[in-house]
Amino acid sequence: MNPLRPAFRYTPFVTGSLQSLLRYRSMFAISAVTAAASAAMMIFLWRAVHSSSPDGPPGGFDTAELTTYLLVAQILGLLHANRVDDEVSAEVYRGHVAAMLLKPVSYPAVRAFACLPVIGTNALFAGLPVLLLFALLVPLNVPRPVDALLFAVSAVLSAAVAYLVNLLVGMAAFVTTNTWGIRLMKQTVVAFFSGQMVPVGLMPDALAAVTRLLPFHTMVDSPLTLLLGRYDGVPGILGVLGLQLLWTAVMCAVAALVWRFAVRRLEVLGG
Amino acid sequence: MIVVENLVKEFRVPEREEGLSGSLRTLLTRRYRTVRAVDGVSFDIPAGSRTAYLGANGAGKSTTVKMLTGVMTPTSGHCLVNGLEPYRNRRRTARRIGVVFGQRSQLWWDLSVPDSFRILRRIHDIPDAVYQRNLRLFRELLDIDALATTAVRQLSLGQRMRAEIAASLLHDPEVLFWDEPTIGLDMVLQEAVRELVNRVNRELGTTVLLTSHDLADITSICDTALVVDHGRVIYQGRIDQLLSTAGQRCVIFEYRGGPSPEAVAAEVEHALPGTRVRLDGQRVRIDHPVGLLSSREVLSFLLERVDLTECYVPEPDLGTVLKELYTRNGHRGRAPGGAA
Repeated sequence: MNPLRPAFRYTPFVTGSLQSLLRYRSMFAISAVTAAASAAMMIFLWRAVHSSSPDGPPGGFDTAELTTYLLVAQILGLLHANRVDDEVSAEVYRGHVAAMLLKPVSYPAVRAFACLPVIGTNALFAGLPVLLLFALLVPLNVPRPVDALLFAVSAVLSAAVAYLVNLLVGMAAFVTTNTWGIRLMKQTVVAFFSGQMVPVGLMPDALAAVTRLLPFHTMVDSPLTLLLGRYDGVPGILGVLGLQLLWTAVMCAVAALVWRFAVRRLEVLGG
Repeated sequence: MIVVENLVKEFRVPEREEGLSGSLRTLLTRRYRTVRAVDGVSFDIPAGSRTAYLGANGAGKSTTVKMLTGVMTPTSGHCLVNGLEPYRNRRRTARRIGVVFGQRSQLWWDLSVPDSFRILRRIHDIPDAVYQRNLRLFRELLDIDALATTAVRQLSLGQRMRAEIAASLLHDPEVLFWDEPTIGLDMVLQEAVRELVNRVNRELGTTVLLTSHDLADITSICDTALVVDHGRVIYQGRIDQLLSTAGQRCVIFEYRGGPSPEAVAAEVEHALPGTRVRLDGQRVRIDHPVGLLSSREVLSFLLERVDLTECYVPEPDLGTVLKELYTRNGHRGRAPGGAA
């Protein structure tokens, strides 16, 4: 039997999700405008802080580097907006998840495949325009090709962690109906501890130490460390990617455990 | 094909107290009450049979079906579908069963029916020949082409049910679990659905477990009945035998000339003790207990006394027999689900 056959089984979820996405064209425009607005806010705020800093650039970031960091952090945010948390919590809340349990597929895997087009379209229709727009407006750091390649690998891992975080947040709907509050909380926590608002290198030591213990910094800070070449040779690269892989594996295990527990709990919402 | 042994499912439900002060109290301390929805049920359904799973509301039917389909895990006991414990082998079980839950859609809300079918075809690895044959069958009997490319959420209940039924049969499942499959269907489509399931049962040997409140569904699809009340099996056997356990039979007739209906009624009740006579215009209905009189005795009495023009001796109806069965088991009056 073809070893890819099980994965092949999930391809209709990719096309199905793409089909329903393409019905909402205005969504991409809104995502792009939102990302551009918050990127502009972060960039101009930080540039103001930077230029008024008396003792040189903080944390060894020059202006172009910092601008690149903040812009790409926003674009990574678009890749993390995979809607898995919304979809899972809605399906659990409405009980549609029971229907998925009657199909010979793994629900977390279905969600993973279904979020691929979300990430792809976000990157293409929102991320790319924002990147081009800012490239015209502000000076950016042009990465070395090898760093760009490392960033691509790291960005994939960061998207995987984002999927797992959102899956866990979505599964919170098994225990509470206030999924909106939990999603809001997650957004704040992720925006801060991922390094999207403040690069981890610029955080006070204590806060940076806490941040490095959490999985979220692998979502933004890790890929940007590689993109900007702020690592120490090959061991540095392996350290960053290794940590990302480790967190991906840990979150995978946690999500699998929570999912198994949640399915047994489904009885309460069985209706 | 389906084996159920000492199956128990208990739920923990929070006790709510009345009024605002009660709500405030439950906010702080919450007490739980255990409700036993399925109470040590055991039964065995052979392959290829068509069984109606019957019981009053709250009898634990849908809970049992949810365990049989792998959506729920039992508190204790176990069940086997096709040799597998469904809740432990959810995906493997899902390949071999077809499910319709009338109240809950199995289809993709945002997609059209043909799109949903394409997904099902892929996830079930349905061979081309089987897929085409089944689509032809659904076109012929359910007119699924009429559903076209409308998204499932925009379909009417009847249209959606046709799609659900077709979806449950698309992959030639070995066992069908149908819960209220004909809600929202008109008479013609109900007939078509019955024909469809009987055809599949005959040609592929599909085992059918049906729960329905529509007695016509039950009598036209199923040959055996499994009756549960308060989580326990109180009857398992052929439906015609169940019907013959009816305590009351009746004879309905019309006649020409002769004495007035009131006089006939008085005479019957006097001559045949235990009978009850009801009048409906020219039509007379005699209810008689089975133990004391046979339909033959009632008829021969009538043939002598009046000039019969029409006469019906209907089979006892399932609803009445079931009501009797529940009453005999003395469970009525207790709250559904019965606190344990």
